[in-house]
Amino acid sequence: MRPSHQNALDRWLAAERGDRPEEAEAALAELFGALPLIAPPAGFADRVLVRAGIQAARGGVFASRVVRLVLAACLVAMGLGVLWLPPTLRWLAGRWSLSDVVQGGVQALIDGTQWLASALRLWDLLLTIGGALTQPLTLPQVTAILVACLVASSLAFRFLRDQISGERNWTYVDPI
Amino acid sequence: MKTDAELVASALRGSQDAYRELVKRFERPVYSLVVRMVQDPAAAEDLAQEVFLKAFRRLGSYDPQWKFSSWLFKIAHNTTIDYLRRGGPATVPLEAEEGDKGGLGAVLADGTTADPQAMAERRDLARSLERAIAQLRPEYRQAVLMFYAHGASYQDICEVTGLPLGTVKTNLHRARKELAQAMTSLGWGPKGEMAGETGRVPGS
Repeated sequence: MRPSHQNALDRWLAAERGDRPEEAEAALAELFGALPLIAPPAGFADRVLVRAGIQAARGGVFASRVVRLVLAACLVAMGLGVLWLPPTLRWLAGRWSLSDVVQGGVQALIDGTQWLASALRLWDLLLTIGGALTQPLTLPQVTAILVACLVASSLAFRFLRDQISGERNWTYVDPI
Repeated sequence: MKTDAELVASALRGSQDAYRELVKRFERPVYSLVVRMVQDPAAAEDLAQEVFLKAFRRLGSYDPQWKFSSWLFKIAHNTTIDYLRRGGPATVPLEAEEGDKGGLGAVLADGTTADPQAMAERRDLARSLERAIAQLRPEYRQAVLMFYAHGASYQDICEVTGLPLGTVKTNLHRARKELAQAMTSLGWGPKGEMAGETGRVPGS
C-alpha cells in the first residue's frame, strides 16, 4: 500500500499541472501534515527559563543541595571556632604586650589620616576641573544651545528606533 | 488542561510553572518556524529563545482577545526579519546527517512505519520538501510554513505579517507554484509520469 504522503504528493503535483488550485491546496496541506514539527534541542525550555531569570528564583537560594551542604559545613566550622576562641585569645595575649597594641593602633591612625588627606587632594582637583568645565554653562546662550542639542538628539534617536523596529516587512530582506 | 489565556494570567501573577508550560506548549511550533526560516539550527535555537524572552517581557501587553499563538508568531516574525536583515546565514539549506537528533533525520525517522523502504522514501521526500522550502523567498516561505505546517488561517497570517489579505493569498499561491516547480526539479513527479510509478525519477 502506498504511504498517504506520497499519494498527497501525487495529487498536489498533478493538481498544479492541471491548474486546480483548491485541490492543490488541500493536497499540499495533507502533505505537510505528514511532516511533524521539528523539536528544539533537549533542555530548550530550561535554557529559556534560565535566560529569563525565572529558574534561578524558582527554588530560592537554598534549593541547591550544594548550597545546603556548604552552609552546614560553615555552621560546623563556626561551632569549632567558638570552642577554640578562648584558648587562642589567651595565647595571643601572652605574645603581645599592651605597648605593642597601643603602638599598632597609633600607626594605623597615622596611615589612615595620610590616606584621607590624599583622597581630599584628589577631590579638590576634580572640583577645580568640574568648575572650569561648567563655567560656560552660566551663560544663558550656552545653556539654551546645549538643551536644544539634547532635545534634537533625543528626538532623532526616537525616530531612528521607530523606523528600525516599526517597519518589519520583507522589502529589505534579501531573497534566497 | 489550562487554556493559553489562563496560563498567561497565571504567569502574570508570578507562577513559574505557567511560564514553563507556555514554553513547553509552543517550543515546537516556534522553533520549527524559525529553523525553517533561517535554515541554521544553532541560530534558530538562539532566536527561538529570544522570541520567548521577548514574549515574557511583554506578557503584560498581551491582549487575550488575540490568539496567543498569533501573538507569539508575530514576535517570531519580527525577530526572524531582524535576523535576516542583519545578514544572517540564510543561504545554507537545512540539511541533516543520518541520526542527527536535532535535524531533519530525527524528524522523519518517527517510527510510525516499520517498513524500512517506506521510511527511507518518506525521509527522502521530506528532505526534498525542506530543500524546496529553503529555495523560496523569505516572505513566501513564512506564508507557506504558517499556512500549511502550522495551520494558520489567512487572517492569522495577515495579523502576524501585517500584510493585506490579498497579498497573503497571492504570496501563498505563488509560493505553492514555486514549491511545485522546485519539487519537480528535484526529481519528484505525479503518478504515471515517472516510469509508471510515483516518486523520484530513477537516477535523480
